[in-house]
Amino acid sequence: MDIILGIQSRMDPWKEDKTMKNWMRSKLWAVAGLFLVLGVWICWAAVEASAAESDLAYYRQAKINWRQFEGQKLTIGLNKHQYTESLLPLIPEFEALTGVKVDYLILPENEYGAKLTADLSNQRGEFTVIMAGAMRNWAYVPPGWMVPLEQFLNDPKLTDRSWYKIEDFFPSLIAANRWNGKMGGGIGEGPLWSIPVMAESYILTYRKDIFDQYKIKVPKTYEELAEAARLVKKNAGIDGIVARGTPNFPTLATGYLTGIKSYTDGKWAELDEKMYAQFHDPRAVKFSKLWTDMLRESGPANWANMTWYDGMETFAAGLAGMYPDCDFFAQTYEDPQKSKVAGKVGYALLPPGPAGTTYSGVFTWALGMSTATKNKGAAWLFIQWATSPRTLLNATVEFKNYNPTRVSVMNDPRTQKVMGGWGNGMYLKTVQENLKTARIAWVPNPERPRMGDIWARALQEMYFKRLTPEEAMKRATDEVNKVFKDIGLQK
Amino acid sequence: MQPRMAGGMGSSCVRWRTNRMSSPRASPRPREAILPYLLLSPGLLLLLGMLYPFGLGVYYSLTNYYLQYPHLFRFIWLGNYIKLLEDPLFAYSFKFTLAYAIVAVAVQVGLGLGVALLLNSRIKGRGALRAMMLMPLMMPPVITALMWKIMMASTKAGILNYLLSFVGVGPVNWLGAMNSAIASVFIIDTWGNLPFVSLILLGGLQSLPTEPYEAARVDGASAWGIFRYITLPLLKPFIILAATFRVMDSLRIFDVIYAATVGGPADATMSLHMRAFFFAFQWYQMGMGMAYAMVLLILVFLASYFLMGYWKRAAEQTTL
Repeated sequence: MDIILGIQSRMDPWKEDKTMKNWMRSKLWAVAGLFLVLGVWICWAAVEASAAESDLAYYRQAKINWRQFEGQKLTIGLNKHQYTESLLPLIPEFEALTGVKVDYLILPENEYGAKLTADLSNQRGEFTVIMAGAMRNWAYVPPGWMVPLEQFLNDPKLTDRSWYKIEDFFPSLIAANRWNGKMGGGIGEGPLWSIPVMAESYILTYRKDIFDQYKIKVPKTYEELAEAARLVKKNAGIDGIVARGTPNFPTLATGYLTGIKSYTDGKWAELDEKMYAQFHDPRAVKFSKLWTDMLRESGPANWANMTWYDGMETFAAGLAGMYPDCDFFAQTYEDPQKSKVAGKVGYALLPPGPAGTTYSGVFTWALGMSTATKNKGAAWLFIQWATSPRTLLNATVEFKNYNPTRVSVMNDPRTQKVMGGWGNGMYLKTVQENLKTARIAWVPNPERPRMGDIWARALQEMYFKRLTPEEAMKRATDEVNKVFKDIGLQK
Repeated sequence: MQPRMAGGMGSSCVRWRTNRMSSPRASPRPREAILPYLLLSPGLLLLLGMLYPFGLGVYYSLTNYYLQYPHLFRFIWLGNYIKLLEDPLFAYSFKFTLAYAIVAVAVQVGLGLGVALLLNSRIKGRGALRAMMLMPLMMPPVITALMWKIMMASTKAGILNYLLSFVGVGPVNWLGAMNSAIASVFIIDTWGNLPFVSLILLGGLQSLPTEPYEAARVDGASAWGIFRYITLPLLKPFIILAATFRVMDSLRIFDVIYAATVGGPADATMSLHMRAFFFAFQWYQMGMGMAYAMVLLILVFLASYFLMGYWKRAAEQTTL
């Protein structure tokens, strides 16, 4: 090739000069392009660094030394959840702020529960910060597996309280994460075990367009709820109502539990003060019969196989008239990409009892600390950072964690802009009203999943009419009492 | 000292050599004695790795081990097995597991044989059919179950009910009613495992000798006669082998049920494995969970022991 080129160049010196010039010109363009790309990259990196610095500047306003545990390592145990998705992209910010290295393990809820319980039980300290919450605390606090957080909150070297603003959290959610360790009660009393990062309460979501078209009243009692379901099915030809129905405790946790507690004006509880089951109580039997009759008559044919996800998908597909479940499912219903009913949904409180109050259940995921961890200071800095106003606002605004636990996040104009439009403002109004009386609906006990599974099976037995409501609930009472007796939970 | 030692060693070597010559049972030199164990050590380590968790499982099944209540931990001998008999769902889950395995294996082996015969015959597109048949095997059972769960939606939104509506059937409440849920689990399981059975039987069919067939044809035997008196007896070891694998898997059925019905509705699809899972990983009652798992293990062991014996006899008969 060189020889060929050589011959050509000897043959045509002018062409050689032109080729050389072209070559030089193309090289110059390439170098200029390279510099341009490099320049753009440097500018972009500088902007990024400056943005990151400005983000960190917010945290540095806190009058604590964020780098006091520099070089330490944390492992965070996380349940697979929308909140977790919103937290992960923010973790590098914490590492840059503190010099603490963060590893994490994310598992689906069942696997997460088993792995976490095994880790805590063996006191291996694999997880330093854990995703806990009111109901999980009932299992982890009595054996001494969790650290009370006041000691960190009240230490000025570790917390700048005026910057952190714990009073900014919804009081009911902080109360839910306080517990005095007494089985059967004590919520809102005693130490704070975990700090909430997401919260859900339970409301009635309904098809406003169908209700308006057929002049169906938004139900104010549970009898009216059953009647509304019947009317939707009759007129619109879709399932009047959907609800969770699988034979395990999540079936009870949302609409049903809010219903039974409201229906009995908050006076009936699944366990008495001596921790004996009360499912056979006529009030509980009556409501459970009403609920399962309503679902058999106007609900989906596959109720007994419905998870929360199936219910949400069914409602979003426009195949159901009502769904008494999590408030934040609204973000799916109101997203036209995911829902056929965007803009057609109404939101209301679940019906109250005779005394006029709805007692919605509440669920929170919250960050707590394992006693087995050695790096407790660094772990607290992580919890403080992850639950600070700015981080939780970022999680909501940037990463769609629409379950704010701080009042400031809920009231932020960017949050209001998104959530305020849902149901023409009905959503926010309903949720804020609901949170006034919402509370942890379960009686504190570490066997909630086992007890709930037995209870949910009783609902299925009466739904399929294999047992009468009285027989099914009596059997659930006996089974739960036996479990509690074996473990020694009864007083 | 040294000469004595050397002499001593020398004399022992001579004695050993003499002994070896005089008696074949003489003990080998230490190095030679250790050699087999050294060669087997990876396998032995692997065996230990398998035996340790098994032993731990047996031990836990004899204890009152709750993950949440370490203070309750104590050895209770057969306490869990006695409690297990009192569990209202033990008898049902035992019967369900056994009945499901019998029916599933009978149908899957029967259908698998039909598919294998079809794929062994000279039909057009046989290669493509064989490749397509492998597809369900490539899918994890949980994904298979979730895929079917979507197709089995109780309304017309489910593709199965939509298709059935054209022939005036349905909508079928696939997973929401007790009997149909059992049938649905069976359909999903069969879809996922039929290729496995077919593959074993197809391999068997292709390895059969041709001479008996040629002789039968010369004698004027009918197609049914050839199948009944030549193919089936020769294929017997393969059928038993496929059945053995499927019995073991069907008794241990878990993933399909977990993903499709979670053991419901109203406990209709509650297998022993599901019950063990609930005790161990939902309620953290490891002792009871392990007791359930041990019952299942004994069931699987007994079934496979008898089937393997049967297979051995069938294989010997076929060889003869």
